[in-house]
Amino acid sequence: MDDAIRVEGLTKQFGSFTAVDDVSFHVKSGEIFGILGPNGAGKTTTLEIIEGLQKASSGHISVLGVDVDQDTKAYKARIGVQLQSSAYYDYLNLEEILDLLGSCYPTNLPATELLKQVGLSEESHKKVKQLSGGQQQRFTVAASLVNNPDLVILDEPTTGLDPQSRHNVWDLINDMQNNGVTVVLTTHYMEEAESLCTRLAIMDRGKLIAVDTPQNMISRLDNTYTLKLELTDPPNEDQILSLTESSTSIEQIGPTTYLLKVDKSPTSLDHILQTIVTTEMHLKHLEMNPVTLEDVFLSLTGNELRD
Amino acid sequence: MFALTKANLKIMIRNRHTTFWALLFPLMLVVVFGIFRFDTADSASIAIYEDTNTPTGTAITEAISELAFLDTPLSVENELTAITEIKNGELDYLLSIPSQFGQDQGNGNLLTRLQLRVNPNNSEQNQLVEAAIQSAITILLTPEPTEVTSFSLEVENLEVSQPRYFDVVLLGLVGLGIMTNSIISIAVKISTYRSQSILKRLLVTPLPIWKYFASEIIAHLALALVQAIIILGVGILLFGARLSGDWLGLILVILLGSAVFLNIGFLMSAWANSPSAASGMGNAIALPMVFFAGTFFSTASLPWVLPYIVEVLPLTPMLSAMREISLENASIIEVWPQILTLSGWIIVTGLAAVKFFRFN
Repeated sequence: MDDAIRVEGLTKQFGSFTAVDDVSFHVKSGEIFGILGPNGAGKTTTLEIIEGLQKASSGHISVLGVDVDQDTKAYKARIGVQLQSSAYYDYLNLEEILDLLGSCYPTNLPATELLKQVGLSEESHKKVKQLSGGQQQRFTVAASLVNNPDLVILDEPTTGLDPQSRHNVWDLINDMQNNGVTVVLTTHYMEEAESLCTRLAIMDRGKLIAVDTPQNMISRLDNTYTLKLELTDPPNEDQILSLTESSTSIEQIGPTTYLLKVDKSPTSLDHILQTIVTTEMHLKHLEMNPVTLEDVFLSLTGNELRD
Repeated sequence: MFALTKANLKIMIRNRHTTFWALLFPLMLVVVFGIFRFDTADSASIAIYEDTNTPTGTAITEAISELAFLDTPLSVENELTAITEIKNGELDYLLSIPSQFGQDQGNGNLLTRLQLRVNPNNSEQNQLVEAAIQSAITILLTPEPTEVTSFSLEVENLEVSQPRYFDVVLLGLVGLGIMTNSIISIAVKISTYRSQSILKRLLVTPLPIWKYFASEIIAHLALALVQAIIILGVGILLFGARLSGDWLGLILVILLGSAVFLNIGFLMSAWANSPSAASGMGNAIALPMVFFAGTFFSTASLPWVLPYIVEVLPLTPMLSAMREISLENASIIEVWPQILTLSGWIIVTGLAAVKFFRFN
């Protein structure tokens, strides 16, 4: 399949500060491609260069087969864009805003159809300010589809939303993919990247750290499981020592609660449970979680994912 | 671009608050100037042409001198000179007592006609003065058993070239309203759009950005015209302003001036970091210009080099062209120096706006 976006050696400098540092990746047609990273990682700058809002200091980018330096207008007509925290005209209603934005493109979809698609038909005569946060975000998704684009670029589409609204937006993004639209989005939510994205790029401090499917990223880590143990009584030193020996890392997070990382060998789980029984520790609560992107991010960057 | 212009007009109409106040401010001033009648001077000047050499003539002159709100009458030798003075606004009234006043006309009738020439711009004051002269002379003639017991006072409204102060100010207020509204509304609007990423949202579309600016300018020019029509309409219908001349020429001057101020608004928005800063900057530019461009007062008496600086401010040629067209019946060709200055301003401010404009 063709690449929707090719980014080669992209660098963006603001004075002496390097916001994006030699970043290369390809986005395949039809996939949902996520760019994950904390604030200030260079995600928005990367997107704005792809959108033609900023010029790269160096590097080569093509979007939908068009070199961004050559002919901006040619691909702008075919991409849909949702900017981070973009507000819309205060004095126009939803339908009028979509008509206005549509008039900026050579082809456009009717406002009523777009509003129906994102479940805002009832609100078509309201102003953006009268909508809830979730509705506003769905509206900006509708606005990004106004030109019936082949590629949609969404900058933090779910930031600040409650879980219900976030799932609504995910459904909309999945619908886009089902309609054959390529989606590029940025996020700093791990579970969003994990459940939504076909492939993922991880950025930190302007650098691209990894590009792969979420599953491949996770399985690259040796520690596949995290065990959360809550004991009835505080363990003694011997008990702690035997727990430490049977896991790859141990961290106390409460008076009697411990987080253990366990590698994915077939015997490791068995080994830990045996240890608990033989050293006469008593479990109050046991939780087992697979390794998450959070862990991947931590192991790749050495940083917590800062919100 | 039509869709954009339409949307812009919709936004302005729905932004009632801003539009309303933008219009109300100059209208309030129209009402103030209309009510206070700055045209009416405290006392009025009168000249008397008296060629009778009779006691009656002298007595009339004395009676008029005693009227409190009239200046001491000047005795004039030449009626025509005094008439010219009225036409130039230097004199308010001329009372003529003909040489044959009170004498037999040869047919048994006495000549009893007095003539009062007035400047019609002061219609209310004229009625007062006319009545006062009327009664003063009646009182004078009644007790004294002169031959003249009745007389007639014939009032003649002279054609006066000097416009009324209210008419001059009304055109100034049109300029003031359009200037403040154009500068401030564009500056605030663009900096709001910038802070809300609306400009960025337009930049990611394939729309050539000049079309967006053109639609903003067209919508604002349309608003400026409506504003001018309302202000002039109130001035003419409610306060009897007398404007004449080439209305199309007046509209052209209004549009040119408005274009300069819109450019200045775009320029302000480039320098302002927030919508409220844009509003403050707009006011700081607009308000001094209101006074320095002669909206209310003549700037001829300004000291030092100020009169020359005043001449090149963009509001000055706009107002002087509007006044020459509507008060002195000048044609659009006759105001070419002002048109040229305004065009120069459009080019300079337009280039500066393009150079300094920023989208984020």
